[in-house]
Amino acid sequence: MKKLKHLSFILIAGLLALGLFSPNVYAKGHTVMIGFTGPLSGPAAQYGRDNVNGLEMGIQDINAAGGITVGGKNYKFALKTYDDHIDPTAAVNNARRLRSRDGARFIFNPVFNTIAPMMQINQQKGSEFLMMAYTSAPEVDAMKNPNTIAIPPPFSVYVGSYVKYALEKGWKKCAMVVTLGAYGDGWRKEFESAWIKAGGEIVADQPANYYTETDFSAQLSAALAKKPDFMLIGGPSATTGLVIEQARNLGFKGEFFMVDQAKLNYIAEVNFNNDLTKMNGVTGTARPRDLAEEEVIEPFLKRCLKDYGRSATSENLLNYGAIRILAAAMEKAGTVEDITAIKAAIPEVLPMDAKINLLPFIDLWGSRFILPGTIQKIENGQYTVPTTTFWWTKSDADFKKAVSSIPDIGNTNVNVPLEGYAK
Amino acid sequence: MELFLQQLFNGIMFGSTYAIVALGLTLVMGILHIPNFAHGHLYMLGGYITYFFITNLGFGYWYSLLLSMVILGFVGVVMERIVFRPLTGQPPINAFIAAIGALIFLESLALVIWGPQGMRIPNPHPQIIKMFGITMEAQRLLVVGGAAVLIVLLHLFLKKTTTGTTIEAVAQNREGAMLTGINVNRVSSMTFFISSATAAVAASFLSPIFILSPAMGAVLGMKAFIIVILGGMGSVPGAILGGYFLGLIEALGGGYISAEYKDVFAFGALILVLSIKPTGLFGKQEG
Amino acid sequence: MFTKPIHTKLLLGFLFIAALFLPLYVPDSYMFQIVITSLLFAIATSSMNLILGYTGQASLAHGAFFGVGAYVVAIMTKAGWSFWIALPVSGLVATGIGFFIGLFAFRTRGHFFAIVTLCFGVILFQVAENWIEVTGGQNGIFGLDSATPIPFPFFGPIEFSSQPAQYYLVLAVLLLTLFVLHRVVYSIFGLTFMAIRNNEELADALGINTFATKMVSFAIANFIAAIAGGIYATILGAVSPSAISIMITFNFLIFLILGGMATLPGAVIGAFMIPIIMEFLQFMENYRMLFFGALLVVVIIWFPMGFFGGLKTINQKIIAWRQSNTSEDSNA
Repeated sequence: MKKLKHLSFILIAGLLALGLFSPNVYAKGHTVMIGFTGPLSGPAAQYGRDNVNGLEMGIQDINAAGGITVGGKNYKFALKTYDDHIDPTAAVNNARRLRSRDGARFIFNPVFNTIAPMMQINQQKGSEFLMMAYTSAPEVDAMKNPNTIAIPPPFSVYVGSYVKYALEKGWKKCAMVVTLGAYGDGWRKEFESAWIKAGGEIVADQPANYYTETDFSAQLSAALAKKPDFMLIGGPSATTGLVIEQARNLGFKGEFFMVDQAKLNYIAEVNFNNDLTKMNGVTGTARPRDLAEEEVIEPFLKRCLKDYGRSATSENLLNYGAIRILAAAMEKAGTVEDITAIKAAIPEVLPMDAKINLLPFIDLWGSRFILPGTIQKIENGQYTVPTTTFWWTKSDADFKKAVSSIPDIGNTNVNVPLEGYAK
Repeated sequence: MELFLQQLFNGIMFGSTYAIVALGLTLVMGILHIPNFAHGHLYMLGGYITYFFITNLGFGYWYSLLLSMVILGFVGVVMERIVFRPLTGQPPINAFIAAIGALIFLESLALVIWGPQGMRIPNPHPQIIKMFGITMEAQRLLVVGGAAVLIVLLHLFLKKTTTGTTIEAVAQNREGAMLTGINVNRVSSMTFFISSATAAVAASFLSPIFILSPAMGAVLGMKAFIIVILGGMGSVPGAILGGYFLGLIEALGGGYISAEYKDVFAFGALILVLSIKPTGLFGKQEG
Repeated sequence: MFTKPIHTKLLLGFLFIAALFLPLYVPDSYMFQIVITSLLFAIATSSMNLILGYTGQASLAHGAFFGVGAYVVAIMTKAGWSFWIALPVSGLVATGIGFFIGLFAFRTRGHFFAIVTLCFGVILFQVAENWIEVTGGQNGIFGLDSATPIPFPFFGPIEFSSQPAQYYLVLAVLLLTLFVLHRVVYSIFGLTFMAIRNNEELADALGINTFATKMVSFAIANFIAAIAGGIYATILGAVSPSAISIMITFNFLIFLILGGMATLPGAVIGAFMIPIIMEFLQFMENYRMLFFGALLVVVIIWFPMGFFGGLKTINQKIIAWRQSNTSEDSNA
């Protein structure tokens, strides 16, 4: 027992010392360091990993293509990740560490609650960094932070397309069982005001915590008692799948709209063992394979399966795209350090060749990437043709121009201008 | 009326789970005075063990449930031996910290072994039953029935067998029990075994209708803890009643008044009960 | 009891000077950030020490009061109030809420008290999550300005957006907190706290009004916790429900127990050591939390009195050694 005690002491002291003196693996010389802080443990760990995986694949491809050349020097990319389990204090610590220790001037984070405090320190003289915000929360754009880039389209894009679709169907009554959380709150508020403005009615609003709960029968029974025509649901994918299953078991026959965090293909895989008939009448953001031409997207999907044992998600694709754009903008701006110049060069490198950047990023306006949002419905056990929404085009001419600027992959294109963005 | 019945059923279903998880915890807390905050994480581990037997080894549902009970029982015994027994005689707050350490360890272990992705056990009883205008999944009915059977079996064990009565004897008077020659360490191990095994049953019942994830035990663990206090530490009827009470109040409060403040009702009710009866519903003496 | 041996005095003096000149030698902004947050947590942990360590009441709502302070400061500064007014107000609000909670919670004891306060903590968390009009819901309140600059003759105003200014703010509040706690703990009043911790029935029998005494200890602890939370809000510039969650309480609890309960330096040591250990363990990536969980168990088994308890043992050995030396000298 005594020996064991001493042994464990030595072991712990040794491990701590290792942490203290662990050498910096990456040579400082010709490396562009990319930082990531996000949830890698806890309930949102999978979401964090999906983001990291996209960055990893992007960096692999940049380096495989020989890196970038700036000022006659060749640079390779490297990624450093830290876990912040959605704790703002840890996120700020990690950001400080990434900037001052690892020399990262580009830091990715996928949660609004941790992005907000990081945006407080990304303009401090001598430790500026470009906040790469993976969040569809429109609040980020309202903060007008010059050193921030928000990657996915604002979620209001999907609100517009859902309302349009529901009106076409002649529906009236909507019940909402959406996740609690910054993001869910935003969705509920936005959808409610849009739907009421369009003449619809919210008959029930029963939010639930999709991160900690797994049984939604209390909320669903209350919502279904109001006989809604359709339901707005969603949060993390796996629990959203449970909501669909439980609502169907309680006898709901109507259709579902899912918030953009929940993924059709993920739910089909994890919850229903790929039996799509169990997901009839569910509309959500389109699965990755319908977002680009088959010959460019297929190898990517296969790679995700092979390298990570998971189907691709839009987190993979969007982060992949963002890192490729950054690399191109650095070459264009002729610097790997001046983040203002790099950000300014981004519109010049967009749109990129679809073979390099799978998704049709078109532009950067303010702090938000411009790319269409695509929704898709499952019907008769099959994925239907997706609808691609253009949200930044006001006039028909703009819309037509935008449509022609991206590769035609056979999707239906619609124009739903978004207030505050369309110009 | 239909809605009310539906909510009632939901409440009873959840109450059943709460009751059996809290039952295991109340034994440990009442008998050994160990605030085992990691109990919910043992429950999580039980779910994964069942998953492992069903999905990786292709065993049947009931075999897997039994194996999971036995294995998790031993995990509990090991935990008592290396985490809690060395802390005997120290203030309870230290055992509480050790329990937090254990739960962090268990959650990270599950994350390392199975990854963060949600996992699913195929539902062995997917049939839908309609009765009195309410819809029930067969598996949910099984949870309600299974919990009742388990509660009765545990009661018989504690009251009618020699081993069971030794456990009760230690609960009532630790020193006295030692004087009569009861091996208190052996009773500790046994109590942890039973407590963990019941958690494994609860997890195996519920995981086919839900999703397994490393973080799933945290909330349930906290609720079980609260139920045990509400019922009175160490009180078996207190844990059972407290469990059903919490399940019902959540379902009815959440369904009728406000889903956002669902937990506020549950915790508010607990505060109210404890300020009227400071040692819990069935509590004997000052804690 | 009140006079410290010379080597302890030297150590304290050295630490004080080291702390005063820290911005001159801190290697980078990352290290600086960790020092600032550790000092901040040391304030909150020290106040938890008062209610838990000295008075023996395991309040699991402590993190919630920290959060209340953070929210009050965030809401008030967002509404245009000066930070220097918002900060004491946040303390008063927390004390008020604490008084209300105490009315219910102090009817119970031991584990029951812990759970009742835990429940109140969870309720406050849920209010922060759901009362969107006031708290901003899950998004919280963000984009806060740093503390209002103090106009200062000759030097011009002191701004609080830089790390050194934030550091001195937190350091000053920590020293003030420790001073106040020292005065409280070693007063007659402090002795009644410990009397309740050691034996509540006996204290009651001796004529101590245990309810009022516990309430006073609770009020002081909550006031300080809220002040720490208020500073947290201004330093981070954003407050979300995670600032009021049960995890904050657990963190303080871990800092306190591993640092050393019922000792003033223990709380500070814990609030420094644990975050720094956690940062060092970052290299373990997926295995970090696994290791940390095991570490918690190991440390609590072998250092039941925390790190400071361990240090004290060493200290006593030094004293014994010095005394044996002097006695040998006098013998010679």
